[in-house]
Amino acid sequence: MRRLPTLASLLGVAGVLAVLPFLLSAYHVSLVAKVGIFFIGVLGLNILTGYTGQISIGHGAFMAIGGYTTAVLSRDHNVNLVVTMLAAFALCFVFGVLVGLPALRFSGVYLALVTFALAVSVPQLPLKWSKFLGGRDGVQTSRTVSHLWLYGAAWTTSAILFVLAWLILRGRIGRAFRAVRDSEIAAVASGVELPLYKTLAFGISAAYAGVAGSLFVLATNGFAAPDEFGVVLSLELLIGAAVAGLGSLWGILAGAAFVGLLPAVSTSVPVIGSEHGRDVVFGAAVIVVMLLLPDGFAGLLAGIRRRLARA
Amino acid sequence: MPVNRRKLAALLVGLLATVVAAGTAAASHNSTPGVSKHQITIGGTFPFSGPAALYKTIPVAEQAYFAYVNSRGGVFHRKITDITYDDQYDPSQTVPQTQKLVEQDHVFAIFGSLGTAPVLSTWKSLNKAHIPQVLVATGDAYWGNCVHHKCQGSTKPWTMGWQPDYPGEAKLYAKYILKHNKGAKIGVLYQNDAYGRNYLAGLKTGLGSHSNEIVDAESYNLGDSAQVIAAHVVKLRAAGADTFVIFATPTATIQSLVARTLIGWNPLTFVNNVSNNRIFELAATKNGANIDGIISTGYVESPTQQANLPGMKLAKAIIHKYAPALDQNLAAGDYNIPYGLGAAWTFVYALKHAGKNPTRASLMHALRTMNTKQNPFLYPGIVLKTSKKRGFPMEQLVFDRWSGGATGDWHAFGGVVNSGH
Repeated sequence: MRRLPTLASLLGVAGVLAVLPFLLSAYHVSLVAKVGIFFIGVLGLNILTGYTGQISIGHGAFMAIGGYTTAVLSRDHNVNLVVTMLAAFALCFVFGVLVGLPALRFSGVYLALVTFALAVSVPQLPLKWSKFLGGRDGVQTSRTVSHLWLYGAAWTTSAILFVLAWLILRGRIGRAFRAVRDSEIAAVASGVELPLYKTLAFGISAAYAGVAGSLFVLATNGFAAPDEFGVVLSLELLIGAAVAGLGSLWGILAGAAFVGLLPAVSTSVPVIGSEHGRDVVFGAAVIVVMLLLPDGFAGLLAGIRRRLARA
Repeated sequence: MPVNRRKLAALLVGLLATVVAAGTAAASHNSTPGVSKHQITIGGTFPFSGPAALYKTIPVAEQAYFAYVNSRGGVFHRKITDITYDDQYDPSQTVPQTQKLVEQDHVFAIFGSLGTAPVLSTWKSLNKAHIPQVLVATGDAYWGNCVHHKCQGSTKPWTMGWQPDYPGEAKLYAKYILKHNKGAKIGVLYQNDAYGRNYLAGLKTGLGSHSNEIVDAESYNLGDSAQVIAAHVVKLRAAGADTFVIFATPTATIQSLVARTLIGWNPLTFVNNVSNNRIFELAATKNGANIDGIISTGYVESPTQQANLPGMKLAKAIIHKYAPALDQNLAAGDYNIPYGLGAAWTFVYALKHAGKNPTRASLMHALRTMNTKQNPFLYPGIVLKTSKKRGFPMEQLVFDRWSGGATGDWHAFGGVVNSGH
């Protein structure tokens, strides 16, 4: 995302996305909307893991916070759904910064464990405060949205947040992020304030996950329940980011499509389609992707480009 | 540029193909979705995998029953196709899978979908679209209470449950305690969510002015360890309870029964019918629980105790022919199988009464005006009855008492009793 992709490819993607709803059935429109939602989540995680070098296997927790923000605000105060998405963004930014604090002391696998704890514990909170957060019976928004609304909201938000990510990463902040990733010592020596940039990276990527969570709940008919935000969701985001590779529009699209579409597609696979089919296909696909594309889809594209340049 | 143009062409062809396919799929259906001359398509979502996968035998039994009906000519010469998708008990999967059933598979009705949260997540949208969401496999009181009363801002007349509701069942335990254990000191263990609280509320309603006989009510969270459950059991005993009521899901029920034996406590004990599948009690005894004398309630015929009744003979034949993988489960007394067969029977019954050319509205009308004792998979005498005033199709239960220790079984006693509202 350091360089904005060529105008042609941006316009191409936007054009295809604008036309798709007219061509696809309502159900397929909702699937492509799901891809848009994961696009936002993977994009946000990419800022943290890809650019700043901090791992998180707990971003599903931020999606849960964002999703419940939307559900509760709509249920109790009938707040406009777009406003709830902004609230989810802001709230998750704050939570992200708070969670970023341990990142100052932990790194690598230890940080991964801290974030994992988050993924496990946050979905339990609605059971603890079940009067307010609905317990196992969930929270239902007062308003639900159509497939088309969701599609438009997901991809408009994706576009806005993509440009925002580009603006953040192209300048001073992005440079600092990459410096932290490449060598913390060198970064500090060059005057990068480690605490500031680490927590900022966490905040930004959590805010992205929050918006994704908000849309995720709207895609679930506006129904937020603990079972939706299991550990698997966090892993899906991480897998999406791994498939995406670093900093390419196409990569993130591929990663988002991978995690957004696979559950739906795998149930249509005969024989293993029903029982555990999703898990089997998912696991196998992850192994294949990691074996063939260790640098994700972005790495593949870079390789092709290099080869073309040589030829 | 030729490469790009070729790609673009391929993309367009692909999109066109999708559109054409979608168009023809839509065109092949007449005015009532899912109903054609020779076929009726229905579908539901079930946890084939994930934390609630132990219920996956229900949809298999349902499909076996439909296969049996189809082999005998179907309903008005229409064969029933029942499409099931795995939602892993996760509403974020229930919603797209249900959308797929409605929008891609063009089902006539959503039948039997399992789990309170999964059903809640699709409750509003299906009712809004006037799509039947019927005989759902959850005992929450929403499905009966919200037919005419506004819930979440609107009535939900297109949704209907099947099994007796939880609060009604709890009232029966209250009645039993008031009759057989005067001046009881009741200790309750309940799951800390709407499911557990609805049960507790039902018990209190049933006790009425005697609800102060509850000396302690301990709540646990789904997923709590056996140690945590045991600590609650110890506390209930310490509070002086002589009656122990368990409103839990199977794992916690098994753990609390084991803990009860470990601490040498032997109060009058009740287990709610969600945990009354014989398989769970056998698991408890295997882990050292002495459960002779515990009381529960049921509503399906027992595959083990009533194997000679016509219903279970039919069950055995159907399962053996159409779902032989479940032969063993049935022999072990898995209540999910008569449950699935009984629910499918109810759907077929309603379909027969929905007219030669059924519509979604006529199906709901048939379901809302049922009155039959013929369901062969229910405990003999239990009636399926609905009316304008009565949104719960089944409001009767039979008391069960366990005897025979580690190789024992539930034994029904006292006949069919009303759990009604």
